[in-house]
Amino acid sequence: MKNLPSRRGVIPAGIAAALSLALAACGGGSGGGAAAPSAAAPSATAAVQDALSKPAELTFWTWVTGIEKTVARFTTKYPNIKVNVVNAGQSADQYTKLQTAIKAGSGAPDVAQIEYFALPQFALAKQVVNLADYGAASLKDKFADSAWGQVAINGGVYGVPQDTGPMAMFYRKDIFDKLKIKPPATWAEFVDAAKKIKAADSGSFITSIDPGDAGGVDSLIWQAGGAPFKTTGESSVSVKLDSDPGVKQWVGTMSTLLGEKLVDPQPGWTDEWWKGMGSGKYAVWLTGAWAPNGIINSIPKTSGKWAVAPMPQYDAAKPMNAENGGSSVAVIPQSKNIPAAVAFAQWLNSDPEAVKSLNTEAGLFPATKVLLDDPAFRDAPQAFFGGQKINQVLADASAAVRPDWQYLPFQVYANSIFKDTVGQAIDGGGDLSAALKTWQDRISAFGTEQGFTLTSGG
Amino acid sequence: MTAPAGLAGPVTAPPGLARPVLRLRVAGYAFFLPFFVVFLVAVVAPLAYAIYLSFFQERMIGGTVFAGLANYTRAIGDALFGAGLLRVALFLVVQVPVMLLIALGCALAIDSGRLRWPSLFRITIFMPYAVPAVVSALMWGYMYGDQFGLVGQIGKAVGVAVPDLLSRSWMLSSIGNMVTWEFVGYNMIILYAALRSVPTELYEAAEMDGAGAIRIAWSIKLPALRPALLVATIFSIIGSFQLFNEPNILQKLAPAVIGTSYTPNMYAYNLAFNGQQINYSATVAVVLGVVTIVVAYAVQIITARREQTL
Amino acid sequence: MTAVAEANRTTSGQAAHRSTTARRRGKSPTLTVIMLVMFAYAVLPLFWLLANASKNGGDLFSTFGLWFGGDFHLFANIGETLSYNHGIFVRWFGNTVLYSVVGAGGAALLATLGGYALAKYEFPGRKLLFAVVLGGISIPGTALAVPTYLLFSRVGIVDTPWAVLIPALCSPFGLYLMRVYAADAVPDSILESARIDGAGEFRIFRTIALRLLAPGFVTVLLFALVATWNNYFLPLIVLNSPDWFPLTVGLNQWNAQANSGTSGAGDATYTLILTGSLLSIVPLIIAFLGLQRFWQSGLATGSVKQ
Repeated sequence: MKNLPSRRGVIPAGIAAALSLALAACGGGSGGGAAAPSAAAPSATAAVQDALSKPAELTFWTWVTGIEKTVARFTTKYPNIKVNVVNAGQSADQYTKLQTAIKAGSGAPDVAQIEYFALPQFALAKQVVNLADYGAASLKDKFADSAWGQVAINGGVYGVPQDTGPMAMFYRKDIFDKLKIKPPATWAEFVDAAKKIKAADSGSFITSIDPGDAGGVDSLIWQAGGAPFKTTGESSVSVKLDSDPGVKQWVGTMSTLLGEKLVDPQPGWTDEWWKGMGSGKYAVWLTGAWAPNGIINSIPKTSGKWAVAPMPQYDAAKPMNAENGGSSVAVIPQSKNIPAAVAFAQWLNSDPEAVKSLNTEAGLFPATKVLLDDPAFRDAPQAFFGGQKINQVLADASAAVRPDWQYLPFQVYANSIFKDTVGQAIDGGGDLSAALKTWQDRISAFGTEQGFTLTSGG
Repeated sequence: MTAPAGLAGPVTAPPGLARPVLRLRVAGYAFFLPFFVVFLVAVVAPLAYAIYLSFFQERMIGGTVFAGLANYTRAIGDALFGAGLLRVALFLVVQVPVMLLIALGCALAIDSGRLRWPSLFRITIFMPYAVPAVVSALMWGYMYGDQFGLVGQIGKAVGVAVPDLLSRSWMLSSIGNMVTWEFVGYNMIILYAALRSVPTELYEAAEMDGAGAIRIAWSIKLPALRPALLVATIFSIIGSFQLFNEPNILQKLAPAVIGTSYTPNMYAYNLAFNGQQINYSATVAVVLGVVTIVVAYAVQIITARREQTL
Repeated sequence: MTAVAEANRTTSGQAAHRSTTARRRGKSPTLTVIMLVMFAYAVLPLFWLLANASKNGGDLFSTFGLWFGGDFHLFANIGETLSYNHGIFVRWFGNTVLYSVVGAGGAALLATLGGYALAKYEFPGRKLLFAVVLGGISIPGTALAVPTYLLFSRVGIVDTPWAVLIPALCSPFGLYLMRVYAADAVPDSILESARIDGAGEFRIFRTIALRLLAPGFVTVLLFALVATWNNYFLPLIVLNSPDWFPLTVGLNQWNAQANSGTSGAGDATYTLILTGSLLSIVPLIIAFLGLQRFWQSGLATGSVKQ
């Protein structure tokens, strides 16, 4: 597969909250129409409401399986609107088609799924509609801060949050119990636990790390307090993979884990990997809150053996969390019926019936407070996880997400060359710091070529 | 068989009116035209567009600018592109001869008349050619797994530690094996077909002179196969330079081994699809095409020279 | 069809003769054993596919790869593959048949016309045209995908069958093969005498040349069929709607789903992918087996000359 090992889950998304501040400060420097009015014209907002009762046909690009059921609920409720759900490829595949179609002037859908990490890129190029113009800013309170922060870019709102992936530690309770190890609360304990697991069985690992998954590493750096990517203006960015303290924090721990072969460098999601997950070769999966569905569907025989805990911390006194994965739903300017498209995107991701369906029928971890704060959601025991109320842990993980992370406006490219650089060091036991520097150099070269001013290092 | 209506033109013209030469020319063009129109649309137009694109640079900030030959100078000095080219060159130098030698051996064996069930072998060895590269890559990808794949299972059953066929040191060989599996039968059939057209009188004469099977193969069959071997070589060269499907699908299983520029074709693809560098991607495609033509042509010339000196 | 019959006669005549001489020498067990190894190499992966397409999900990764699982699940798996997601696989199969039959049929016809023109008619520029077409073979199609996409979207045929069919109609290799084939298979003297009889050029092609070209035509048809049936990259780029996917793109989408496996009930499984893969290669193998006689004699002439 040429795409990144992706899905809303695997490629993490990011919070672009601070982006809005940074860009607001520097805005207006280039491109006359850059500063969009954040207050929607009342007529536009009304048009969105009216659109629901008028005949319309919308095309919706998404690769979420099972989402047709949620869409069907929409069309049952608003029978005048016909929605064609199209899976045009996952992640980078779809973005390429989307960007090419937008450039070509035809063939783009009305509504499209875009992961948070890619959204700044589309927002910068004005390839998605600023929903604030259609009154979407009023939706803010319905969503978790960590979700809303990722669609609020440059003072606008460029998508409706659909799902999130606050990180958590999924672990094999049976293995930890057998070895009499406590689930690690800190990374120091994590390393100790890893050594014990290795000592008990030399073929086992506490976890694996995917040398092709830039998103996974982005999230771990985020969780370590890092902020290596910053957009400092409309056309200036900074990349500090060689000097950011959070990156160094992560490098320290990961170098130990990889150096002592406590963590297995193994691409995720392959059958070899799932087989390892099922057989107990790996005791832990550090990943986004969307993981339960994958575990339940792919390795059903491990039922009852799993449990969930918060991420291990570097400083237990100052807990921090990160997002891994998650998507928004954006409206494409080419749409012939933008009001209807906006109305659909809003309903799909904020109507109580819809968000419940997204969670139960499409398996997404919610972005809305409607569910995150709902006792029925939080307190539901999960039989697969030995009756643990996992949503409590996961919803709290969502609240703990560190808000000042940003992605580059060309993160899709940056992530794609991760496997050429840092992935090599992860796989081959090379020097992580040097590899991060190489990654930074290639990102910088690309950014400069694309006309950005780059600050790196220091 | 019906023909496009346009072809009726030269036919209905009364034979006496046009001069015969002209009539034949018109007919020739008319027969060639339908193919050529499709060729223009499907190959020439995108190619011309790619060449056009290669002279520009589109930036996220600042829009599109005329770049002159900048993309080409960049491509020539591009270490990633160069490494990819070297890799497929290595692949070509090893995999193509191995595959063609096996194909040749099979063709000679089937043609020798000393083999049981020759038609069974002919059709089964050819069968993998009918398997889509996508399916073949998925299949071999599953089988290569050193833990739970077929290779791992066999290793465990026999009690031998199997190498990780998807690791850095094995990957090119693993891809070579997949490509060989897919195309050895195809080449065998081409060579076998060429053998069948060798006049039987030659064999008879040789046999009367008391030549053995190997002698006949060496001095009659091989020279007769020369043109067919050349065709097979040229197509294999082109195929090697365009290597894409197999590494692209295996990339999922070994992302750190197969990077974004593992082969030049993958590089061009990733430039366009992950980096939105359509202009530079087009440049890489054009340069790759030129390299392929030059190498294929060089092989042809070298072979022709050698034949003259023989 | 006289030419074909004639060709067959010659071939079988040769074969008969040569097997007599061979019988005198006797069969070689060593040679047969060596070829059995090649046989295993070619067939084992296909057998692996068959064996694993016959397993249920549980056995798939827990039983030995080169033998069947506890239950013979092939037919259940086929049923599941055909009905999964409202029978989308059947739709993909139909699309593939459409692309292959129209695309390969058209490609073979155009290549036959064009190759015949290049071989049998003197017209200015024909050497140049032939060289240009041959050059076209060495252009990496993968890398031209984006320009092709941009061009096609300008004329509005992206995400329609035309975007797959038009490129499929073009087979430079087919033209090459037909030019070589036509040069020998259609004697100039026959054309001359037909012209003296006053036949028009198209009539000559239709009534005389086409019959002589039949084995070559079938050969090109089959190779174009394989090319179209197995085409993956271009359809992947120019199509968005799964409703128009060919099998290759559809199967790979299932694979992508299985590999990411994060969501609810709807995900494809490895069982579906393996069974789908198996089903996708059967028609081509049948076509090759059924039309053996034609394409082998077509290649015989096509491959020896340049």
